[in-house]
Amino acid sequence: MKKINLSFTISRQYIYLSLLSLFLLIFVFVFSFAVLIPEGKEYRKNRIEYKKELKELRRFEEFEMQTAQTLKELQSKNRHIISAFDTIFNPERFEKEHKKYFSSLTLSAIKNSAKEDGFAVYEVNTSSKINSPVSFYDFLDALNKSSWIVGVNFPIEFKRDGELIHSSFTMKVYANAKDSNTSKASTSEAK
Amino acid sequence: MKYSYIKPRQKSALTFEVKLLFSFFGMTLMMLFLTYGFLLYKDYTFVSDKEEISAKIEMTDKNIEEMKDAIAYIEKQKLLSQKIYTQNTVLKDSITNLFDLVPERITLSEAKLLKNGLILYGITPNKDVYNFMLQAPLRSIFHKTYSSFYPAQNGWLRFVSTNYMDKEEEILEENVDEKD
Repeated sequence: MKKINLSFTISRQYIYLSLLSLFLLIFVFVFSFAVLIPEGKEYRKNRIEYKKELKELRRFEEFEMQTAQTLKELQSKNRHIISAFDTIFNPERFEKEHKKYFSSLTLSAIKNSAKEDGFAVYEVNTSSKINSPVSFYDFLDALNKSSWIVGVNFPIEFKRDGELIHSSFTMKVYANAKDSNTSKASTSEAK
Repeated sequence: MKYSYIKPRQKSALTFEVKLLFSFFGMTLMMLFLTYGFLLYKDYTFVSDKEEISAKIEMTDKNIEEMKDAIAYIEKQKLLSQKIYTQNTVLKDSITNLFDLVPERITLSEAKLLKNGLILYGITPNKDVYNFMLQAPLRSIFHKTYSSFYPAQNGWLRFVSTNYMDKEEEILEENVDEKD
């Protein structure tokens, strides 16, 4: 009877090959689990945060646009008021604009008054002569359309002076606090 | 002495199997390193983009705050100007009412409008005309009314009427209410 030989021999080359394969396989696994997967997690985390930040930026930009729109509308609606607060009070120009309501108009020194609600307030004493109270009413109407924010203040005095009425009152001119209006005296008379 | 009849072929360490193994692992490692490189690059760009976005958000927020301040300031200007315009209009109405209040038979020579009062100087034919036609309506407006008379040259009476309100600017407030 013939004896069957079950033993098989593995050449040394294949053993080296198997060991190299095992080493490379271990390296692949170690690299994947120790480096690649944590880095992948970090990538996902960073991507989520990036998208979140991007969303936040879009929200801010949208709000900025809305705010800019509101500001623009407000500026266009109140252009007269804004420019009136910016305009430095000029007594000569004021007289020129309003002398048609009076027989004579005199503005005295501009006094730098205290601030009111964060705005600079200048007091101007006014002395004038009018033909009738209607002229004064027209003047008060015109004040609301003038180039400055001017309020007529108490006390107001009316005194008969022949055919005319002598009136004297104080006006308060409101301007932005940064206004460079000086308190130098400026007296002139428009007839 | 020769042991073999065939010529020995040259042997190399890089056999077919080794080449196959290196190509397989080479490709695998290349893919792994490329993926790792891609992740590193993306992480770097995400971080730098996030910093850029944060800076943009900060700038946008600053712009928004500045615009909000500008809006608040314009609203403040609007409010103050409306208040002043209303005061001017109310003042006009008050003076109109004052002159309408004076009857034709009484002549005013001077009028002083104070913050919380009114002083009138004038001439009246007699006390009754003054009391019924001027003092009565003045009393309905003011809380305190004082009158003094002294004779004029033509037989009429000169008068000084001093009227005060307890609260300041009550005239203005009433007129504002009327307007509303």
